[in-house]
Amino acid sequence: MIAWAASPFGRIVTRVLLVLACLAFWQFIPVSRAVRFWMSSPSLIAEQFWLWLLDGTLWFHLQASLYVMAQGYVIGSAFGIVFGFLLGHFRRVHRVLTPFLSAVYAVPKIALTPLFIILLGVDNASKIALVGVTVFFLILTATIDGVRDVDHDMVQSFSLMGATRLEIVRKLLIPASLPWIFTGMRIAVRYAFTNTLLAELIASNRGLGFLIEFNSGNFNTTGSYAAIFALVLCSVGLTELLSRGEARIARWRLP
Amino acid sequence: MTEKIRLEAVTKLFNTRGTTTVALKPVDLSVRDNEFVALVGPSGCGKSTILNMVAGLMPASGGRVLYDGAPVAGANRRVGYMTQKDTLLPWRSTADNIRLALELKCRRTAKSEADDRVAQMIDLVGLKGFEKHFPAELSGGMRKRAALARTLIYEPETLLMDEPFGALDAQLKLVMLDQLQRLTQDRRMTVLFVTHDLAEAITLADRIVIFSGRPGRIRSIHDIALPRPRDVYKARFDPDFAHLHATLWDEMKDDVIAAGARA
Ligand SMILES: Nc1ncnc2c1ncn2[C@@H]1O[C@H](COP(=O)(O)OP(=O)(O)OP(=O)(O)O)[C@@H](O)[C@H]1O
Ligand SMILES: [Mg+2]
Repeated sequence: MIAWAASPFGRIVTRVLLVLACLAFWQFIPVSRAVRFWMSSPSLIAEQFWLWLLDGTLWFHLQASLYVMAQGYVIGSAFGIVFGFLLGHFRRVHRVLTPFLSAVYAVPKIALTPLFIILLGVDNASKIALVGVTVFFLILTATIDGVRDVDHDMVQSFSLMGATRLEIVRKLLIPASLPWIFTGMRIAVRYAFTNTLLAELIASNRGLGFLIEFNSGNFNTTGSYAAIFALVLCSVGLTELLSRGEARIARWRLP
Repeated sequence: MTEKIRLEAVTKLFNTRGTTTVALKPVDLSVRDNEFVALVGPSGCGKSTILNMVAGLMPASGGRVLYDGAPVAGANRRVGYMTQKDTLLPWRSTADNIRLALELKCRRTAKSEADDRVAQMIDLVGLKGFEKHFPAELSGGMRKRAALARTLIYEPETLLMDEPFGALDAQLKLVMLDQLQRLTQDRRMTVLFVTHDLAEAITLADRIVIFSGRPGRIRSIHDIALPRPRDVYKARFDPDFAHLHATLWDEMKDDVIAAGARA
């Protein structure tokens, strides 16, 4: 039995059985009506999920979340890379700014959400700002590390060959720090996702986080579970996409 | 012939974590235009340091370093420097590494001409068939040859070479020496060449500068009056060569042995 469960096919079958068993337990365990209200049931959740799928609720909120996440990610990355190169290159400026940067870097950015909401409202802008700031600092440090890791002897060999400052940046600093920037951007995707969700949970009028928060707030446990299920699907999808992307980049880097 | 490089009472101190190392005691040396000068001496006597100062990568602590009669200040773009450690770009193939200097604005070259010159260089250093390999996929000796080609391709008027052939086997080394002699004679280059290998130095050099151990200073300078062009494959069987080798080795051996004992 155990040997069978360890084979690839057996493993999948075992997993499915495990899930079915849990769902059946959840569905059929005899409990009072009050308890049933708090724990809902798989059939109710599936029904709710299906309803949201049909009436477009799910797409609406998923789109809203992805939109915020993508905007914050792109803006944060772009600024992070540009400032990373500047600070990596102008070391004196970087040395002056280091304590401030570490201070801001150390602050959990989520704590800034209320401030962003006061400044920018509960619409997308405040959430994009939170995601953008989080991503910015991750990419900034990755880029600075990348630029500083460039072998000084290589920089010197470029200057002896007669390379201009711009040529050193284009032909040496950028390609040399790309792996660092990619690593930073890969890690930042997960942070962007988490922070989008947190921002939506705190205050928002759309998005997956809002959907969870809204249903819990109305004591609609079935709705909360359905929304959480949507989130799980979304996370799994994102993780899957990321690991495929990584495999592709790894191939590109080791030709 | 005019003077290309001149060191006047050049000294060098290094401060590392509170301790001061004297790398060079006052050194005087003059290298003429189109001259091939070899620097030999025990490890740590400051040979690389001298090349670094001529290239303008580090200032002298005392004295003056002159190039074409003017003090060297900042990176000296008239020299091509093949450092002890190669600085090939890991994300570029062999051919693209060699092409690098021709891509720069200061000597931008048409693609077809650049392709030709890269192919020539690859031929010259014997890397045919490895054009598309990345540095990580080359052997130590192949990397050295790629680095050599990268420096030679833009024909700098002065070559600084720091143990360029250390990682090559004896036969391949002779082939490389032959090519280097031909190229530097044809293009009338001035060469400052660091090596541990006396035979290599005698084969190529017009003059050999022998350094004594740390702190480095010049022990003696020898003219190598062997006629040119030299046959690098047979040179070492020449009686004059053997005589020179014996004299120079006598000159060096105490320092080399002392340096070995210290290490
Ligand atoms: N950047 C540096 N910082 C501190 N000390 C240095 C530095 N570069 C060289 N030195 C010291 O200066 C001395 C001479 O070094 P150098 O590299 O010129 O020797 P070398 O003659 O080239 O030796 P080798 O034949 O082993 O390459 C050594 O004692 C070394 O420790
Ligand atoms: Mg050295």
